[in-house]
Parts: sequence; C-alpha cells; structure tokens
Amino acid sequence: MSVAAYGRLKSKKRKTRMANVITFVVILIFAALVIFPIWWIFRTSLMTNAEIYRYPPSFLPGDWLFSNYEKTLEVFKFWKYLWNTMIIIVPSCLAGTFTATLCGYAFARLRFRGKQFIWALCVGSMLLPAMVTLIPLYIGWTRGLGLQDSYLPLILPYFCGGGAFNIFLIRQFIVSIPRELDQAATIDGAGYFRILFSIIIPAIRPAMIVVALFIFIGLWNDLLQQMIYINSSDKFTIALGLTNFRGQLKQDWSLTMAATCMSFAPGVIFYLIGQRYFVEGITLTGMKN
Amino acid sequence: METVSKSSRRRARIYSAEARVAYICLIPAFLGLIFLTYVPLLSVLGISLTSWTGLAKPEFIGFDNYVKLFTTDPYIKDSIIATIYFALLSVAGSMIYSLFIAMLLNRKIPARGFFRAVFYVPYVLPAAAIYVGWSWLYEANFGFFNYLLSEIGLSKVLFIADSSYVVPSLSLISVWLAGNLIVIFLAGLQNVPSVYHEAAEMDGANGWQRFLHITLPCMSPIIFYNLLMSLIANLQVVTPALALTNGGPGNSSRFMTYLMYDQAFVNYKLGYACATTFIIFAILAAFTAVLFKTSNRWIFNEGGDDK
Repeated sequence: MSVAAYGRLKSKKRKTRMANVITFVVILIFAALVIFPIWWIFRTSLMTNAEIYRYPPSFLPGDWLFSNYEKTLEVFKFWKYLWNTMIIIVPSCLAGTFTATLCGYAFARLRFRGKQFIWALCVGSMLLPAMVTLIPLYIGWTRGLGLQDSYLPLILPYFCGGGAFNIFLIRQFIVSIPRELDQAATIDGAGYFRILFSIIIPAIRPAMIVVALFIFIGLWNDLLQQMIYINSSDKFTIALGLTNFRGQLKQDWSLTMAATCMSFAPGVIFYLIGQRYFVEGITLTGMKN
Repeated sequence: METVSKSSRRRARIYSAEARVAYICLIPAFLGLIFLTYVPLLSVLGISLTSWTGLAKPEFIGFDNYVKLFTTDPYIKDSIIATIYFALLSVAGSMIYSLFIAMLLNRKIPARGFFRAVFYVPYVLPAAAIYVGWSWLYEANFGFFNYLLSEIGLSKVLFIADSSYVVPSLSLISVWLAGNLIVIFLAGLQNVPSVYHEAAEMDGANGWQRFLHITLPCMSPIIFYNLLMSLIANLQVVTPALALTNGGPGNSSRFMTYLMYDQAFVNYKLGYACATTFIIFAILAAFTAVLFKTSNRWIFNEGGDDK
C-alpha cells in the first residue's frame, strides 16, 4: 500500500470516528429532551407548592417530599384504580390472544368453504377505524344487553378474535412455520387441535406475546370507551381516576403530578420487564406487513 | 374405479372434519365480525337517518341530519379543519423525527439498546396521564416552556389555552409519543443491505445522496406502513380533548371524534352523532384511499417491476 493511500484510509477512519462521536452527542441530546418532560413532572411531584412557583424554577426538588404521594393517595385511589384497570386488561389480553390464535390458525392452515370470503371480511374490517362503530356498540351493550356501568363492554370484544389486526399478525406468523412439522404430526395421528396446541402454539409464542402487548397498550391508552361505559367512581380505571382527580384539584400541581407519576409507573415497570418482547413485537408488525 | 371413489370420499371426510375444526376456531371471529363490526357499521347508516335521542322511538327523517350538518352545524367545519391540521402536523412531525432518530440509532454507537428504550418509553405511558402531565409543562405562568420563553426574552404563550397554539402544542406531544415508529424504522434500516451503501460509497456518493437513493427507496414500504398507521391514528385523535381541552379554547381542538362524542354522550343526539360518524368515516376513507392510490408511484418494489 502506498503512503498516500494509507493516509487517505487513515483520514477516512478518522472521519467516521468523528461522525460517530457527533452522532452520539446528537442522540444524547435528543434522549435528554425526550426524558426531560417525565423528569419535570416527577420533580414537581416532590415539591411544595411554594417551590413550584419560585422563579427561576429549580431542576431538582429541595427536599424530596414523598409525603405528597401519601396526600395524593387520600383522594386518588391509585391501588383501587390499578386493580380495576387490571380487571379489564388481564382477561382481555388472555382471551384476545387465545381467540386470535384460533382464528389465525384456521386461516393459515385449514381448508374450508367460504375461507376467502371470511378472510376478506376480516381484512376489510382492519381498515375500519374503531370510532365508527362506537355509538352502535354503545347502544347495543347498554340498551340491548343492559350492561350499564359495567366492564363487560370493554372486555367481551376481546373474546371475539382480539381484533382483525391481531388475527392477521398471528396468521402471517403461522404461515411462516414449515408445514412439514404438522404433516409429520398428522402421520403420527395427531388431530387438528392437537397440532395447534403442541406444534403451532409453542412455535408462535413470540407473536402471541406481541398480540397480548398490543391489547394491553390499546386498553392502557384508552380513555374514550372507559368514559362512556363506566360511570361510578368506585369502578374508575387509572385513566378515569386521573382525569377526574385533575378536575378536582386544578390548582394543586404537585399532587396532580404525583398522581400522574403513579399512573406512569405500571407502564414503565411492565415495559422494563418485557422490553425485549415490546421491541421484537413492534419490529415484527412492521416487517410482516 | 371403486378405489378412486373411496379415496375421494375419504378425502371429503377429512376435508369436512378439517372444515368443522376451522368453523369452531372461527366462531369468536365470526361473532366479532358480525356483531362488533359489520352490523354496527350498517347501524351507523341506519341511525344517522333518524332523529333518535335515546329516549323516544327513533323517527325516520331521511337525510335531514346530513343537511343540518352541512348547513347549520356550528362546529363541524372547525372540527374537520382542526383534525386535519392536527393530523398533518403530527404525522409529518413524527415521521421526520422518528426516521431521523432511527437513522442515528442505526449507526455504531455505544448503549444503543439503552437509547432505543429511552425513545420508546413515552409510548408505554397511559395517554390520559401524558396529557395531564404535559398540561403542567404548558402551564401559562409557571410552566416549563414559558420559563424557557422568558429566558430568551420572549413573552408568555398560553399554549393550550390559546386557540392558535393549542393544535401545534398537542401535536408536539404526538411527536414525542412516536417511539413505536422509531423501533419499526430501526428494524427496517437494519434490513437495508449494507452492500448497497458500500457500493455507492465506492462510486463517490455522499451521505445525502445515499440517503436519497438507497435508504429512502429501500425503506419505502415501511415508510408507507408507518405513514398509514399514524395517519389513521391521528385523524381519530380524541384523548387530548377528553383529558385536557374539552374541545377548546373556542372550537380550536374540537376534533372530529370529540365532536361525535359530545353529540352522542353529552347531548344525547344519537341520530345526529351517527351522521357525524359517517362523515368522519368518509374523510378517513378518503385519506386512506389517496395514500393507497399514490403508493405504487413511490413505493420501491424489491422485485424490480416498476409500474
């Protein structure tokens, strides 16, 4: 290698190292910007009201007032709300994942009359925005079935396939499993359900976890449906409880922020535990479509 | 002859057993599709032609609700404008932001997993809490953003209490929430074959040229997917109005879904609200159709058949 070429290579190397340092700094700045609102909310939750209104504001609370949380809990029944939220989320996740798997299996592997038609209905409903069916469903659940102030209108839909998108996701995943596996099992005398439970389900576990996570996120972020179906305050979910609490304490920012932080916590903890699946799952949906 | 018919009968039997299993598996989805999707969809149309308020028997009034919506409704025009304004700002902002961050994260940097987690975190927080939390940052006198403005010598802004700032302020929160788009983009970027970049670099293409002619075409299917998903989600925006603004100030954040909620569940005009629903549906469908129609012009097919 000539000296000039070596020099060029070296300068190029230096250039990429320089670029990587700049990238790192930019990422660091953006990450700080993204985390900052959460920090600001948290630091407010630990301050006295006098401290909140001080100018210039400080980035750290003076003496970390965790007692704000105790005070908040007197009105903001966090544990009750969390429990109520879980009563909705846990059965929905389980049932939604299971029924989506059943349907995905039928579409991916089984031959039956009317398959194309039902599949078209399913895919068609994927493009249908959720808000379109809101009013008729409300009428159906509350007038038709008399389910007022009940969690069932929020849960029962997940017993019906867990949404077309999730069925689609599971189907795509099952299609990618080699058919030889089921054929071998068929020769060994396994029935269709046996194949589903002992071959398909173990193979698509990641996809099922993803579906459960999607259902979780959907319910976790929902406010509109909870608002229209739930009326009494002892049935409030976290989202409803917080919205209501904010209405009551418009001016007490430190307590409102303490309630906000408590509402953040389960999602963050859940995410830290299941981070791998979250990332895999989101990635999966982007790739499979 | 006999064996053939026997085997075909046998096949038919297996086939029917298979179909039976399939139908059992599909019972839940079938119920869902009929009772939770298609019957309600038709009901929206049906109810929209009545003057139902939920109390008396619904009375058929033809297209009166639609006529009223288009001629005398004080909200719907502002509502459509606010929604489209919000959706375009949020979609544009979050697409650019998430692609940019994903491209940075795709380089060789230390602690990449940690950073990815940081950018994703806002997405796992409950939406209602996010808006309540941000309302404090946007607070008129002591909020953080107003502190920043006063530090650089600008006058205070009533972010969510000012009709000209409320939509951009809420859009900024949507952009902040776009962590899931980053993760999808990042996965897509990792699938772009590095040989393309190496070859282009050898031919002397600079970073911007490589982005334009390699990254963007290779990523176009994923860009389309993210664009579609975030457009549909943002056009249905309702939570900030429910949790924070109640459609105000004025009508500046009376988003379409919130308008529908207000008509149906605050004022109990169910027939009227269904007419609104149908109009919103038509607008969403139009946006989706345009996106799909133009997609084959800019989505790059790996197979190479450019249509």
